[in-house]
Amino acid sequence: MKKKPKKKAAEDKQNTLAELLKKHGAQIYDDLDKGNFPKFSIPSRSVSNIVYDKKIRQYILGTNTAVRSSRNTSQLRAFTQLMWLAFFANRLTGQKKSSTLRDVYYSSQAFEVDFEDQSESDNIIVDLEAVLSSPRESFHVFPEERSSVFGDLTIEYTVPGYEGKKTNLSDHPDGYAIGPSLTSSEFTDTSAEVVIAIEKGGLFTRFVEEQVDKKFKAIIVDTGGQAPRSTRTLLKRLHEELSLPVVILTDGDVYGEHIAMVIKSGSANAAHLRELTVPDAKWVGVWATDIEKYKLPTIPMTESDIKRCHDLLKDPRYQEGIWKKELEVFLKIKRKAELEAFSKYGLTNITDKYLPQKLEIAKSL
Amino acid sequence: MSSKETFSQISPSEFFYRNRDLAGFSNPTRSLYTAVREFVENSLDACDQKGILADVHMSIKAVDAEKPDPKQYILTVRDNGPGIESNHVPLAFGTVLYGSKFGLKQARGMFGLGATMAILYGQITTNKPVIVKSSTDGKIQDEYEMLLDIQKNKPVILKHETKEVSKSGLSVSICLEGDYAKAGTKIRDYVYQTSLITPYATITFDDPKGEKYRYTKVIRTMPPSPTIIRPHPHGIDVETIRRMLLDTNYQIPAVDNNMILKVRKELGLANKNLSHSEIMDKTQKKWKTLTRPVRIVMALMSFLKMDFEKLSKTTIEEIDIGNKKLTYWDFGESQSISIDMDPESFYYKQLANTVQGETLTSFLTKRFQRVGPTTALKFAEYAKFKPEQRIGTMTNQELVKLTDGLQSFDDFMAPDPSCLAPLGESPLKKGMERFFEPDFLEVVQRGASAYSGFPFVIEMGIAYGGKISSRGMKVYRFANRIPLLYDEGSDVVLKVVNDTDWSRYKVKGDPPLVIVSHICSTRVPYKTVGKENVADRPEIERELKLALLSLSRKLSSFMSKRGQAEAAIKRKNLYSKYIPLIAQFCTELAGKKKEPNYKKMITEEPIVEEET
Repeated sequence: MKKKPKKKAAEDKQNTLAELLKKHGAQIYDDLDKGNFPKFSIPSRSVSNIVYDKKIRQYILGTNTAVRSSRNTSQLRAFTQLMWLAFFANRLTGQKKSSTLRDVYYSSQAFEVDFEDQSESDNIIVDLEAVLSSPRESFHVFPEERSSVFGDLTIEYTVPGYEGKKTNLSDHPDGYAIGPSLTSSEFTDTSAEVVIAIEKGGLFTRFVEEQVDKKFKAIIVDTGGQAPRSTRTLLKRLHEELSLPVVILTDGDVYGEHIAMVIKSGSANAAHLRELTVPDAKWVGVWATDIEKYKLPTIPMTESDIKRCHDLLKDPRYQEGIWKKELEVFLKIKRKAELEAFSKYGLTNITDKYLPQKLEIAKSL
Repeated sequence: MSSKETFSQISPSEFFYRNRDLAGFSNPTRSLYTAVREFVENSLDACDQKGILADVHMSIKAVDAEKPDPKQYILTVRDNGPGIESNHVPLAFGTVLYGSKFGLKQARGMFGLGATMAILYGQITTNKPVIVKSSTDGKIQDEYEMLLDIQKNKPVILKHETKEVSKSGLSVSICLEGDYAKAGTKIRDYVYQTSLITPYATITFDDPKGEKYRYTKVIRTMPPSPTIIRPHPHGIDVETIRRMLLDTNYQIPAVDNNMILKVRKELGLANKNLSHSEIMDKTQKKWKTLTRPVRIVMALMSFLKMDFEKLSKTTIEEIDIGNKKLTYWDFGESQSISIDMDPESFYYKQLANTVQGETLTSFLTKRFQRVGPTTALKFAEYAKFKPEQRIGTMTNQELVKLTDGLQSFDDFMAPDPSCLAPLGESPLKKGMERFFEPDFLEVVQRGASAYSGFPFVIEMGIAYGGKISSRGMKVYRFANRIPLLYDEGSDVVLKVVNDTDWSRYKVKGDPPLVIVSHICSTRVPYKTVGKENVADRPEIERELKLALLSLSRKLSSFMSKRGQAEAAIKRKNLYSKYIPLIAQFCTELAGKKKEPNYKKMITEEPIVEEET
């Protein structure tokens, strides 16, 4: 059964962004032309302005905004940097070129816009995200780290030189890197019924070998630890454009639980963005309760694991359901288990026994 | 215990020889520096006193340049001052405790002892004579080569010659053991700072390495010179009172030939030899026209019952008013003779008045500054003395009581500052201008004030920026036109400067800031004998604070104006750098061809906006 996704979703987004950039540019152009010092407001990203929105189940920015004025000499530099970044983003998207955070830092030097260091330019990038309410991937600034995807999904490239060209993501057994061209492609066709996000590359390979994609009609995504934002964007698109449920498998520890939570509801750092979350995603394991249930080999939790547990218990997102329950069990048993622990029962135990049970449970979560 | 222990008096020279550390001649480094100071200060004082704009030339030459320090140096200081009378030169430079500066007024040195100490030190360490060249009239110069006889405290003249010159002045040259390698910095600092506080003088220094330091006059007018004044009651002690009584009260007149001539003249008996009774008759007739010393001689004659010839062969030894006895030495009989005085006699009362001295009120009004008859009477009541009590009759206990009273009585007027010689605001300002070439300069002279009966005046200057280096605040301390170079840490000026919260005056970090502080007083309260730091008397500290406060306020307003101007320039630079970039970027973003017209935004003077 093939699903027919909405067409041209990626392209529409690009056009909206370009218009937004043009609108801001025109506003500033007019100000300068009249001899006024331009300014604009940016949602404040200070801790006091980050609030949890129960309705959309993620952290968002409050109503506080900071005015950045080019008249104020202490803000003038940052204002210019932001303008340059908008200008640069406009060129990137217009020319369909991609870059990285580090690229941006070095590119600035060609325009006499001096950033002290990369952290300063990274910060301005987040400012532009906040102004445009779009993740940096939308203006073609991509993370260095790459995660992978494998499964029956046909995509159509939009990047220059590949326009119209199609690929099926099950053609290469190592999977496809989730890079700029994949992220900006249109989804044309899939037979998958579920997306399985898995924390570790090793298990991703096992899943491909064991043909989990075919057995469970799944698209398998390797998050490579904490999921990069391009990966989270991909998961969101798979969920929204193809209406696929997303399940997440992580190590059985507090960090694994949080990897799942970030995919589901984002992070406080990205409170200014709303396109990175999959609120319906489900964490299916490894749970703390699984450790006893499956008699998994364990290692003791470290002090920082325990501290992290206590911290998360204060987070509004961990106040109910399995999120709260599993944290409490971790604190009780003070032990953790990795995904590989299932190998104790044979290499395919995880795909043969554990995964089917968990996918079943997911339906009732 | 030795029973042969002997006691002998030592001469002042011997005393100083044994205690030379006290006077700053403890080691070759310190000694060289002290010697320089003593000679330069003597020259400046001598010129100041005569109203001469000083030219002081100092040189230090190594006797053998190859030798390592410490070694022998020849120190020569030459000035254009009044010079010293030829016959005074041996005493002035060849004995200790011979000086001319014993009056009560502000001067650099107190008694002029230091120069002799330096000569003494030179002689001890090198056994070479001092060479003094002096000309008082600008025509004839006397040149002396002398050694000191330490035990006898007498000069030994090795050579004395005269020659013709064209300028008056004094030149002193000594050979002494010194360490210029170590003392050099201090000596150069001393010369530099002395020139700063003496802008009306030219001071030059040729150092042993051939370096020449020249500081020429900045101004050609002399600050008004101080006057010698009577002491203030608050500044008195028992010993001073005792001395004042001694030298005013009365002296037993020396009945020598000069005095007898004077007596004869006043009586109109210049050439006549009359008998005793005839003389006394004449005396009674002329009494009202006679001067005081003659009256005393006549009163004595009335009891001695002598004529002039007999009188010329006697010396009065003691006048004992209490026991009404008069004792004299008769040269003819070579013996001491006592006679009774008739207390009912007119002459006895005259003599008694003289010997017992003036009344307390008269003593206070005549011998102290700023004490009038009313104050004197009030004081007598306060200190429980009869106003008419003769001071000559006071016992030791009464003298102590009188001294305590003088020190503690609050109704005396403040001390007279006319004995002080501050530099003045304008000379100080000109001196600082020349030395520091600052962007900002302010000076202030506070009104006269007093501590413990000693008047003082604070002068202060503050300079900022310009050619001053940004190595942090530098404080130059002066007292009576002498730079204070050592022991900065414990000085009251430093304390006041350090207690100031400079950030309140917009002075931050290591500012290019110089403070010059000058304390003028008849007695500067030094903490130590080395005369390098001033003790923190509350009155002085208060005046220093007020002076610094008024200056730092002015500095503060300069700093904020400067800050505003700097900020405006900085703003303009920033706008010029960034606005064109913004224009470039937004032009492309907006999809326009031509850049917006922003030029006026960076050429016009920007409006100050509060930084938020």
